[in-house]
Amino acid sequence: MAKNSKLKVAIYWAASCGGCDVAVVEIGHNLLKLKEAADILFWPAAMDFKYSDVEAMPDKHIDVCLFNGSVRTSENEHIAKLLRLKSKIMVAFGSCAYEGCIPGLANLYNRGDILTRVYEETPSTENPNGVIPTPHSKVPEGSLELPEFYDWVKPVGMVVPVEYSVPGCPPVASQVWAVLQTIIDGKLPPVGAVLGAGTKNLCEECERIRDGTKVKKFVRPHEVIADPNKCFLEQGIICSGPATRAGCGRPCIHVGMPCRGCYGPPEGVKDQGAKLLSAIMAVIDPEADVEQLVQQIADPVGTLYRFSLADSQLQQTKWAEEKKK
Amino acid sequence: MEHAEKTVRSFKDEVMAEPGGQHLQRCYSCGTCVSMCLINQTCPDYNPRRILRMVMLDMRQETFENPTIWHCSSCDLCYPHCPQGIRISELMQAIKNIAVREGYESPLPTSQVDEEKCSGCDVCEKACPYGALSLVVKTIDGKERKVPQTNKALCMACGICAAACPLSAITVEDHSNEKIAARIQAGHWLKKTRGGEPKVLVFNCSWNLRAEDDRAAMAELPPNVRVVTVPCSGRVDPTFVLSALQAGVAAVLVAGCEPGQCHYKQGTRIAQGRMHTLHNMFEQVGLDTSRVRFVQIGTEERGRLPAMIMDLVAELKSARVPVA
Repeated sequence: MAKNSKLKVAIYWAASCGGCDVAVVEIGHNLLKLKEAADILFWPAAMDFKYSDVEAMPDKHIDVCLFNGSVRTSENEHIAKLLRLKSKIMVAFGSCAYEGCIPGLANLYNRGDILTRVYEETPSTENPNGVIPTPHSKVPEGSLELPEFYDWVKPVGMVVPVEYSVPGCPPVASQVWAVLQTIIDGKLPPVGAVLGAGTKNLCEECERIRDGTKVKKFVRPHEVIADPNKCFLEQGIICSGPATRAGCGRPCIHVGMPCRGCYGPPEGVKDQGAKLLSAIMAVIDPEADVEQLVQQIADPVGTLYRFSLADSQLQQTKWAEEKKK
Repeated sequence: MEHAEKTVRSFKDEVMAEPGGQHLQRCYSCGTCVSMCLINQTCPDYNPRRILRMVMLDMRQETFENPTIWHCSSCDLCYPHCPQGIRISELMQAIKNIAVREGYESPLPTSQVDEEKCSGCDVCEKACPYGALSLVVKTIDGKERKVPQTNKALCMACGICAAACPLSAITVEDHSNEKIAARIQAGHWLKKTRGGEPKVLVFNCSWNLRAEDDRAAMAELPPNVRVVTVPCSGRVDPTFVLSALQAGVAAVLVAGCEPGQCHYKQGTRIAQGRMHTLHNMFEQVGLDTSRVRFVQIGTEERGRLPAMIMDLVAELKSARVPVA
């Protein structure tokens, strides 16, 4: 980064809940330091900008773009490509951009199923004429355009190349600030790195007691009153900790919820769900009925791939099968 | 006095005093255990009857120096057949325990822990069917950390820990992730098309084939079938399965032993849990479930594996699973 001029930063949200934008705000008084070091050229969730502002920029004008949200519509894709063109460094910021996150679970369904469910079936919907949004609609006043709702959800890195990824749903404030500091100081690691997180799994930093108890039964968190000091997995509660990257500071564990895996797989793990499955099935009790244990995992994809389905080998296999058919 | 008593005590009494060794004297050397044991496939010298006889004949030194005393993996296939109801696995363990105290070491390969990669998550300790891994506090790079340590006398190198470790911090010689991947890819098998025949990858437990005939039948499988031998079906990480499918394999079949007959006690149950959950997930995402198959083969049906594989190939053809 040029020392004499301020850093130019853009923050965008695609298919996301807004939590990642809130995570940036959560750095609190450090926002003033960010403002001192950087000009924010684009941040639709917080300030008034138009897409035309970005379009008017010369290529590579933005130093760093923090892109949060996955790609679900043609608008998401268009802006991802536009920001890629205008940015020197693109960061997949937060779990949606990094690995698809919760929106990625929509890949379990197709576009038709989702639109029908949302616009016709949900109890809170009143839509007597069965109007379903379409990219182009003719109305007496002329024609209206909406972004196309794709049949799939992809992490931004599958649509445009990204230099770095920051995991987390959302990334925790301390890590957001650590990442911003790295950017401000110009101390970014080699391209491809995961920023704002550890390299090993969450168990590395978890203080809960592990005494070697094997799993007799898998239970869901609401089905038991868990011992607040013991390892969740040893209590039969599926905790994604073993197959999840460390670095979040364990906010879920501290409030009595098992890790759900939002920091993605640890370094070197290709597929978080497969690795988690490999680990949790290895610790079953010799006396337990295996088939019952299998049945006790309600919604296995949602449990094991809660945040990483769109970026998983399982998903790739599915897309490859569809392509060949 | 105590010392004198120790020296006069026979080896037989010593073994019988060891937990698990109490039924030694019931053995009348019928050899039924030898006929049931699978170990002589890989180690023809292994003969539990002879080892027990050596103990009874007070051949202390010779027993400890016999490299085969470490082989028993406690599968207990022999136990239900022993007319005297002796748990030979426990007897063998009693002998091993004394040998360890005498300073003897198992010559068999064992699991290796990469302490650098390890996070101390303790999954391996719970996964090991032998209790061979336990966490110990060590100072690594100036930091106090808990890392697993392998008890060489207990480890049977089944590789269950290696598959369970979320950080690939444990390897078992000859069956590392890299070596298994190399066996899958050998001869560019993944890259070559097989004349429109669906490619089937089989992870076969190394104890699944018994007679020479079984092995010969496996060798005659067509080139679109690749059989990768793993020490135990519990060594198969679901990541292997997904990686193979992603690379264009039509289906992956994992073959383990029947529950209760698993050479490594728990491996086949672990594989069952993984593969059946994978099957459920395939259903959930809308993938063809014939692409992930798990079979458990009893000692009596060992010869059936080639036929099972060819049935799967036929099924894949009729289901029109895409062929790479």
